[in-house]
Amino acid sequence: MTGPGGLTVRAQAAWPEPGDGAVPPLPGFVHSAFNPLVVAVADRCLRRAYRAAPTVDGERTAIVLVSPTGDTASAAYVRAAVAADRRPGPLFFFQSVPNSVAGHLAARWGLGGPVVCLAPTGDPQAAGFAEADLLLYDGDADAVLLILIDTAPDDGDAESAVAVLLGGGDRT
Amino acid sequence: MVEPADILLTGVHATSALGRGAEAQLAGVLAGIPAFRPVRRFNTGPRRVNAAATLSDAGPLADELTEAVTAACTSAGLTASQRAEAALLLAVHGGRSVPALGAGLAAATGFPAVRTYTTACVSGTNAIADAAVLLRRGEVDRAVVAAGYLVEPDQYALFDVGRALATDAQVRPFSAGRTGLLLGDGVAAVVLERADIARQPIAGLLGWGRAGDAFHPCQPEPTGRGLARAISAALVRAGRDPAEIGYVNANATGAGPGDAAEAAALRTALGPTARRVPVSSTKALHGHALEASGLLELVVTVLALQRGKLPANAGWLGPDPECPLDVIRDAPRPADTGYALTLNAAFGGASTALLLGAT
Repeated sequence: MTGPGGLTVRAQAAWPEPGDGAVPPLPGFVHSAFNPLVVAVADRCLRRAYRAAPTVDGERTAIVLVSPTGDTASAAYVRAAVAADRRPGPLFFFQSVPNSVAGHLAARWGLGGPVVCLAPTGDPQAAGFAEADLLLYDGDADAVLLILIDTAPDDGDAESAVAVLLGGGDRT
Repeated sequence: MVEPADILLTGVHATSALGRGAEAQLAGVLAGIPAFRPVRRFNTGPRRVNAAATLSDAGPLADELTEAVTAACTSAGLTASQRAEAALLLAVHGGRSVPALGAGLAAATGFPAVRTYTTACVSGTNAIADAAVLLRRGEVDRAVVAAGYLVEPDQYALFDVGRALATDAQVRPFSAGRTGLLLGDGVAAVVLERADIARQPIAGLLGWGRAGDAFHPCQPEPTGRGLARAISAALVRAGRDPAEIGYVNANATGAGPGDAAEAAALRTALGPTARRVPVSSTKALHGHALEASGLLELVVTVLALQRGKLPANAGWLGPDPECPLDVIRDAPRPADTGYALTLNAAFGGASTALLLGAT
C-alpha cells in the first residue's frame, strides 16, 4: 500500500476499532487517556507488522507523535495543583512531555530511530506524513511509526488515534 | 576557516539570564559566572529548591519569540519577501495555546506557515535538523528556527517533585558531587540559508544526527547508545573524523546518570579523542531551557567558535571517574580547530548531535 508522498504503508491501526471498549490503562502513566491511547494504537499497529515485540529491525525506526495540544488533561491537573500550592504527583514529571510515552514504546519494541513530537497548527495528518517523509529522506531512519492523536473538543482529553508504520517506498 | 558548507547559519539571536542578544550570551559564558538566583517570578514556597536563571525583564513568550525571530532575520539581512518564501520552525513546550502561539508568531514575523516541535529538550535541535533537510531537498532557500522557554511554575514544580533540581543551587556538569539541574530562561532564533545565496555566513552546519535509546520513558541508557549513534551520524554526514572535533558543548545537565551516559556516548562515538577533546556544558551558566536548550546552546557554540574561545564548565568540584573527559575548567580555552559538536538528549531517549564549522 502506498501513502502520501509515495511512502509505503507497512501496517496501520486505529483506536477505537469495532469492538473496542475503554483504552487499557498503562502502568506508570496516570490521570489522562493520552498516553494509554498512544500505546494502544501503536501496539496494535506494530503487532500487525511484527506480531511480537521487540522488532527484529527496529534500530532505525523513528517515532513521530502528532498532537496539536498534547496531553492537556495532565497539564490542566498540574496547573490546578500548582495554583493551589499542592505538589503534583511525581509521575506527572515525565508525562508532561510526549517523549516519555514515545520512549516507552521505543523500549518495548526496540525502536532506536529519531523521536519527533509535533504540534501542528494545520492538518495533523499532513504534518505527520510530511515529517515522516523528511526523516526517511534524511537517512537516520528507514521506517517511521507515525501516531496521530485526536482530542475531545470539550475537555481536551485524548479520545481517538491512528498509527501508521511507514517505509520509504521507492527510496528503500 | 574550515571547508565550505552547503548550509550556513547567517543570523543568530538569543536571550537568557545572561542578557539580551547574541553578544550577551557569548560575554556571559566566557565570563563564567552562573546566572542562578532565588526565584522571584512566582512562589516557590512549597518546593524543595529555590533557584533558577531568569531574566528580570522577560516579557510574554510570544513577544520574546517575535523579538528573537525579528532580530535574527535583521542580523541575516532577510527581507520581507524572503521571509514570505522561507520556512519557520518553532520549538516550545506543548499545550492548548501552542497552535495559536505558532500561528501568531508566523503572522507577526511575516512567514507563511510554521512547523511546531514539542519534543522536550531536543525540540530545537530536531527543528534545526529538519530545516537543514528542507534546504538540502530544495523545498526552501531559507529557514528560520526559533525556540523559547521561560521558567514558569508548572514545569518548575514538576522538576522539583521529580527530584531533578540541584539541591545546592549550582549546576555541576560531569563533576563529582553534582546534584541535578536548574531551569533557565532561553529564547533563541537562528537563520539558515543555502550557501549559494547566503551573504553573511556566521558558521556552517556541517552535520546532524538523530537517534533514540530504545530504553526507558525517562531514564538515559547507561552507555549512551542513542546519543552515540546521533554523534556518529553527524560525523558521517559532515565527512569529519573524531580527531577534527575541537569542542563539545555537552548536553550535561548536572544529573548523575545522564552526565555519565553522555560521557560513555562520547567514548563510543569519538574513541580515544573523547579523552582529549575540550568539553563543557553551558547549562552550568544559563540553566536548562528545556525545549529551547538546544537552540540556545547552538547559538553559544557558534559564537564561541567564531571568537575562538571555548567557555568553561562552571560548578566544577572534582573529577568523576564515570566521566573521564577533558572538561574545560576555571577559564575559557582557545579553540584548536574550527569544528564543534553541540549535543542534546531528552526524555524517551531522544538524542541529537549538531556539527558546526567556523567560516
